[in-house]
Amino acid sequence: MTGTDVPPTDPVPYTADEMMSVASARALADARCCFVGIGLPSTAANLARRTHAPGLVLVYESGALGAKPDRLPASIGDGILARTAVAVVSVPEVFNYWLQPGRIDVGFLGAAQLDRFANINTTVIGDYARPTVRLPGAGGAPEIAASCREVFIVLRQSARSFVRRLDFVTSVGHGGGGGDRARLGLPGAGPTLVITDLGVFRPDPQTRELTLTEVHPGVDVERVRAATGWDLKVAADLRTTPAPTDVELAALRQLARSLEAAPDPAREG
Amino acid sequence: MSADEVVASLRDGMTVGIGGWGSRRKPMALVRAILRSSVTDLTVVSYGGPDVGLLCAAGRVRRAVFGFVSLDSIPLDPHFRAARQRGAVEATEYDEGMLLAGLRAAAARLPFLPTRAGLGSDVLRLNPALRTVASPYADGEELVAMPAIELDVALVHLNRADRHGNAQYLGPDPYLDDVLCAAARRSYVSCERIVPTDELLRGGPPQSLLVSRMHVAGVVEAPRGAHFTSCVPDYGRDEPFQRRYAASGADPVAWQAFLDEFLAGDERSYLAAVDAFHGAAA
Repeated sequence: MTGTDVPPTDPVPYTADEMMSVASARALADARCCFVGIGLPSTAANLARRTHAPGLVLVYESGALGAKPDRLPASIGDGILARTAVAVVSVPEVFNYWLQPGRIDVGFLGAAQLDRFANINTTVIGDYARPTVRLPGAGGAPEIAASCREVFIVLRQSARSFVRRLDFVTSVGHGGGGGDRARLGLPGAGPTLVITDLGVFRPDPQTRELTLTEVHPGVDVERVRAATGWDLKVAADLRTTPAPTDVELAALRQLARSLEAAPDPAREG
Repeated sequence: MSADEVVASLRDGMTVGIGGWGSRRKPMALVRAILRSSVTDLTVVSYGGPDVGLLCAAGRVRRAVFGFVSLDSIPLDPHFRAARQRGAVEATEYDEGMLLAGLRAAAARLPFLPTRAGLGSDVLRLNPALRTVASPYADGEELVAMPAIELDVALVHLNRADRHGNAQYLGPDPYLDDVLCAAARRSYVSCERIVPTDELLRGGPPQSLLVSRMHVAGVVEAPRGAHFTSCVPDYGRDEPFQRRYAASGADPVAWQAFLDEFLAGDERSYLAAVDAFHGAAA
């Protein structure tokens, strides 16, 4: 795990990344079925399944439905997903019969860049024709953002990731603001929650602009503001995220160790 | 037929669909045969992995049509990244769902298929030729009219095939190989092993026969033909070798060294060089 330790006054030291993963896992308390991106979302979903949400159905883009990996998958093609799934379907089926009809409660995404309306960029940094950094590309994120009943986004926050203007709109969150999803004909509710290593954001009910609703312990609003590339809105009733419990931390650290101890992926799918 | 015979039927400027997904069950022996040939100026349609990276590194790609390019355990193919960042390859950027809709339209010989994917994204801004269409029914919904992605040729790799082109996957995931073959005018299958047809049926249920001979123009037996991508259950991804491949994206000198060490000769010498690489590492 990377990140900075919170002040040593806290009884159980934990990193900002651990707080982010724990807050992300807690957000899945009411979901029945989660479409899981690899990386931070996968960590969160597996932590939820190991703590408060053992019945959570994990769906991975590679077609693994109801995967119950006993360690973190190293990639979307990690064979442990298919081996532990209750069903494995083809990618066309995932898209056409699961995602697009809105059968998934929560789509959980990561992002390289995000703007104030929770639109995300996973395509390029810089000019499209000759990018400064070429990223992997859209993958399935646009469909997930369009069609899941709601979307959670988890990413590390900085002025480079929380930007005024995306270099490329890969997946549409709330477009240009309130009413845009309906105008575009996007069926899901879109992003309802953004979790970072600094705090938690929710869209304003009218304007759909992201509003800081929680800061993590030890983080003040000014620090969040400095890591935000636009004029940040802060909720009147700003709360502090409860620190990770011992149980949550133990489960998370066991998951992290499980990835390090994973068998040679050369033997996996 | 041989991989070189398959490639001899390709022409400069063709649109080639490549099967597999990311760094999984890619028809790498066929890709390596393209590298040995002079075929160039290709439009490559792929759920992209090192197939796209290798062909870009070798300067054979005019345009890549993709929803992502990734090596799975390494998020981005460094050769594709380098080619894009120096503006050496044109890009038609979709997402997985749009690409799928385009291939399904081509497979069904329809001009387009409607989809919600892409609405509001920069994919539409960058592809001004993409049109939307209004549902003619009471809902009146505005949808993206994803045009058919017609392929001149599809190249796929499966675990087993018979000599007629009936081809079987034995791993957990079919990927899009069947759709690609159906979308193409001509398809070629490479496989780990060519077996008699009745052995195919003993090897798995009928639905594991992903590709039908009706779609296939030729079959190549290419053991380890997906190397270094995975071809489970025959073998997994060769992660040490994939790291070696990724490191060769660092600069032209590293790439030339990779070419000299692994790709200077035929498929047999490639596999020997891979074995030597592992022997040296052990």
